[in-house]
Amino acid sequence: MVDLALKTLLFDRLRFFITVSGVAFAVTLVFVQAGLFAGILGNASVTVRNLDAELWITPKNTANVDFANTFPESYLDRVRSVPGVARADNLIVYFMFMTLPSGARESVEVYAMENFRRWGFPWHVLEGDLDDLKRGPYIFMDNSATRRFGPFAVGDYREVQDTRLEIVGRTADALSFTTTPLVFMDYGQAQRMNADMLKGRTSYVVVKLAAGADPGQVRAEIHRRLPYNDVFTRAEWGDRSEAYWIESTGIGLNMYLTVFLGVLVGVVVVTQTLYTSTMEHLREYGTVKAIGGGNADIYRIIGKQAVIAAVLGYAIGAAMAWGVGALVEKSGLHMALTPTMLAVVFAGALALCLAAALVSFRKVAHIDPAMVFRG
Amino acid sequence: MNVLETENITKTFQEGSESVEVLKGISLSVARGEVVALEGRSGSGKTTFLSIAGCILTPSGGRLAIAGQAMDMGNARELASARRRSIGFVFQQFNLFPALTARENVEFALNMKGRKDASARREAEAMLDRVGLADRREFLPRDLSGGQKQRVAIARALAGGPPLILADEPTANLDSHVGEQILGLFRELAKRDNRGLMIVTHDAKVRAIADRVAHIEDGRILTGDG
Ligand SMILES: Nc1ncnc2c1ncn2[C@@H]1O[C@H](COP(=O)(O)OP(=O)(O)O)[C@@H](O)[C@H]1O
Ligand SMILES: [Mg+2]
Repeated sequence: MVDLALKTLLFDRLRFFITVSGVAFAVTLVFVQAGLFAGILGNASVTVRNLDAELWITPKNTANVDFANTFPESYLDRVRSVPGVARADNLIVYFMFMTLPSGARESVEVYAMENFRRWGFPWHVLEGDLDDLKRGPYIFMDNSATRRFGPFAVGDYREVQDTRLEIVGRTADALSFTTTPLVFMDYGQAQRMNADMLKGRTSYVVVKLAAGADPGQVRAEIHRRLPYNDVFTRAEWGDRSEAYWIESTGIGLNMYLTVFLGVLVGVVVVTQTLYTSTMEHLREYGTVKAIGGGNADIYRIIGKQAVIAAVLGYAIGAAMAWGVGALVEKSGLHMALTPTMLAVVFAGALALCLAAALVSFRKVAHIDPAMVFRG
Repeated sequence: MNVLETENITKTFQEGSESVEVLKGISLSVARGEVVALEGRSGSGKTTFLSIAGCILTPSGGRLAIAGQAMDMGNARELASARRRSIGFVFQQFNLFPALTARENVEFALNMKGRKDASARREAEAMLDRVGLADRREFLPRDLSGGQKQRVAIARALAGGPPLILADEPTANLDSHVGEQILGLFRELAKRDNRGLMIVTHDAKVRAIADRVAHIEDGRILTGDG
């Protein structure tokens, strides 16, 4: 079979290059923008999604995981006695001040629990033994703190609110949307250091369900016993934390605008080049009809050209986005290219290119094949 | 048997509010193995008639039969199918696909006629050999002379063995002696395979190879077909 679609596309090198570049540019723009958005937004809920708890009991009307009020830690007992709860623990999330060796004062966001290991949290330990945290004035600090606080090592001491604490471990990937570095310490240690605010109080109770327990039922029962708290599933709580930042910063609108612009550029370029090309080859399409080809043959030719442009443009665009991702990673930004995103953008590129083909095809469908006889 | 039969074909074009009657009842047939020249001044309606005979343009009235089968001129599918099975075209402008080589141009036409396997390539090559382009098979149209392009077009028209070949001013864009060669080739190929050939032209040289000459003037046939 002679591939008229491909041969014509390649014959017209410059136009082919422009079409593919248009798709590639749009795809890159969409990936980079959506990927950065997902990456940054992911920071808002990364701790929630990685702590091994199905339910989070929060102070009433808490907007996100970083900004929690406190409630009496004794509520924990009421939760533990709810049928279907395998285990429950208090979790404090609290901002404290750290004095750096330079003398500068910075914020840290402290996550404090009695037994971190039970909750698989923090989930990415680079160095150190989590059980050490129970044994004294010790902390784990996330590696991302290096950017703000300078290099640190296990064995170093840092002063947090007038208490000298030894760094006994390092973690990775534990981030907050606020960009405040995360520190992990023992539950009692955190309370003693902030006795006026935290004595006898906790920020959250996290719950692991018994196997086979109905989350809805357990949740309803907890809610009945703690009417002045909220109870969220892990997914709800993560989403709620992300939604807070989308609404309060406007990054959502920013992303949608850029994605829209990217798509618009891609659509215009592809429609335009495909249409011009089709118009220039009108006589050839007339010939296809004269020698017995039908509209289906012609649509196949134009459609195939669109698909080739889409697939090639997508591949190049995805590769470029990946390159951009690797670059921004060095500056500490994370670009998340999820399989869903890859699939959706691919389907989108394909659909838009085929729609562009349809615009051209409508023109060809009505050409009078008698034109092939004219000069 | 007649491969082309037309009876009282009329065609009126609508030019804004005016209607122009270009064909006023043309009856003309072409038998197998016959070469018919259709002459006439520029603008006399030759191309219009050829388009109708080629099932590309719908007449305003009259009857048309291709290879013995009466055509329903309102049925686009039937017309396309007749073009695929029974008609080969040669155009004044060659109308080759610029991105395809000589061989691919012929092979693509066979593809459109439903031949999509390797035999299409073999037949394309054989056809190019017959028109004397064995050594130019893989040349693009831009690298061929006018005469060579028209030979490719003839090979394309003959491919698939349609019983009727319609040529519109096939020599108009060629040097005089090249035109003569092309006409000789036309006659030879039509005779050898017993196909009907109608050449529309105002080139007097065509008379030399025609079995019959018809003259079109003022929308009517003056001489020739009886
Ligand atoms: N699609 C059309 N619409 C209107 N007028 C047309 C059309 N095609 C041809 N004509 C007119 O019909 C007449 C015959 O044209 P044509 O068949 O091309 O003549 P020839 O091929 O003999 O030179 C001309 O006057 C031309 O202007
Ligand atoms: Mg003409």
